[in-house]
Amino acid sequence: MEFNFTTFALEIANFLILIWILQRLFYKPVLAVIARRKQHIDQTLADAQKLRQEAEDLRQHYENRQNEWEKEKQAAFGVLRREIEAERKTQMDQLQADLEQERQKAKVILSRQQHDIQRQAEEKALQNGARFASLVLRQSAGPELEARLCAMLLEHFNELPEECKRCLKMLDAEKSVSILITSAYPLPDELRQKLEQKLGALIDRPDVFHYAQDAELIAGLRIDIGAWVLHANLQHELAGFAEIDHGSD
Amino acid sequence: MESEFVFELGPLAVSLSILTTWGIMLSAAVLSWLATRHLDMMPGPLQTVVEGVVSALEEAISAVEPVYGRQIMPFIATLWLFLIVANLLSLIPGLHSPTRDLSVTSALAVLVFFSVHWFGIKIQGLKKYLHHYLAPSPILLPFHIISELTRTLALAIRLFGNMMSLEMAAMLILLVAGFLAPVPILMLHIIEALVQAYIFGMLALIYLAGAIQSQQFNRQEQL
Repeated sequence: MEFNFTTFALEIANFLILIWILQRLFYKPVLAVIARRKQHIDQTLADAQKLRQEAEDLRQHYENRQNEWEKEKQAAFGVLRREIEAERKTQMDQLQADLEQERQKAKVILSRQQHDIQRQAEEKALQNGARFASLVLRQSAGPELEARLCAMLLEHFNELPEECKRCLKMLDAEKSVSILITSAYPLPDELRQKLEQKLGALIDRPDVFHYAQDAELIAGLRIDIGAWVLHANLQHELAGFAEIDHGSD
Repeated sequence: MESEFVFELGPLAVSLSILTTWGIMLSAAVLSWLATRHLDMMPGPLQTVVEGVVSALEEAISAVEPVYGRQIMPFIATLWLFLIVANLLSLIPGLHSPTRDLSVTSALAVLVFFSVHWFGIKIQGLKKYLHHYLAPSPILLPFHIISELTRTLALAIRLFGNMMSLEMAAMLILLVAGFLAPVPILMLHIIEALVQAYIFGMLALIYLAGAIQSQQFNRQEQL
């Protein structure tokens, strides 16, 4: 065991140089790259944390927006539901009104149809009655009935309204009036004279009487005075009987 | 064991231990350059190993001295790396461990001795550093001084004695028992080399941390 000062001194120098070499070539570069990596990792972590925070903020933001949307949706649903309810009520009311209107219309139509049916039945009945009466009267009518009808006509001339009398007088005064008297049976002369006398008094003008015979009248007369036609026969009366209902309508 | 001088460089006689140390230094420089010339953010296998070694050294130092660990790291880490390599060097036939030389271990122990004071004074200042020798009582000053000297001496002698005895034991067994007989002793040599390197470096670290932390303790007391 020998101590050598030269070795001692050189070893101190060598070790110090070795520290410098390792510090320069080994520790410093390696620690630097570790520090860079750590900084990079820290930066990455910070970025990730920042991104995470941003994502969290965005998530919170979108959750808030989603909640707001949900509230808006609920409110819109409420409004829509109320509008639908109001519209439904309006439509229902409209429908009820339409239905009521249709019901009334159908009721009116039905009533009219019933009335028409009834009227047709009445008309039919009247026509049948008139036809039956016509058949009966055709078989039972005769000159006596016609004479009786003529007597009724002559009495009726006395009871004519003043307006009718004025109309007969207002016929063309310059010309002579042609009067056609149609009967179901041949008129006796006495009855012809009464008729001409009565009509001449009503018209008060020169006139020409013509006579004709028509079995369709059944019994009675038809007097044509220009545009005027006076009926006093059963045919006209039966036709009037059949049209009573029309007249009442 | 006498120093084996290889050649003389002027007035300086270069011993085998110095020559071996130079070889270690050259190897360390070359290997460091090769290992760190292409450092990348995405490490390969070699860079992973290198970073693992440096990180392990830094963490071991920071565990003892967390505040000023980075400042004392080059000294302590170099001690560990140099002693591991130097202690294991004798396993290679034809080479001898420089740490079997008392001059080498003394030089390392003296470096530890001075580095303790250097870092203590650098961090706290001369006056305040020297003040801790008087704490807790000036009566303990002689004991502090004796402690400083004896622990430095113990560092040098412990490493030198262990490494020299290991080599000598392996040599004696080889002479007496023949080829392959000292293999178990050589395996023990590996463990002992690592343990001695660890002990020397850890004691140096503790001495340094003690000096630094004593200043921190004084500062906290003043506050």
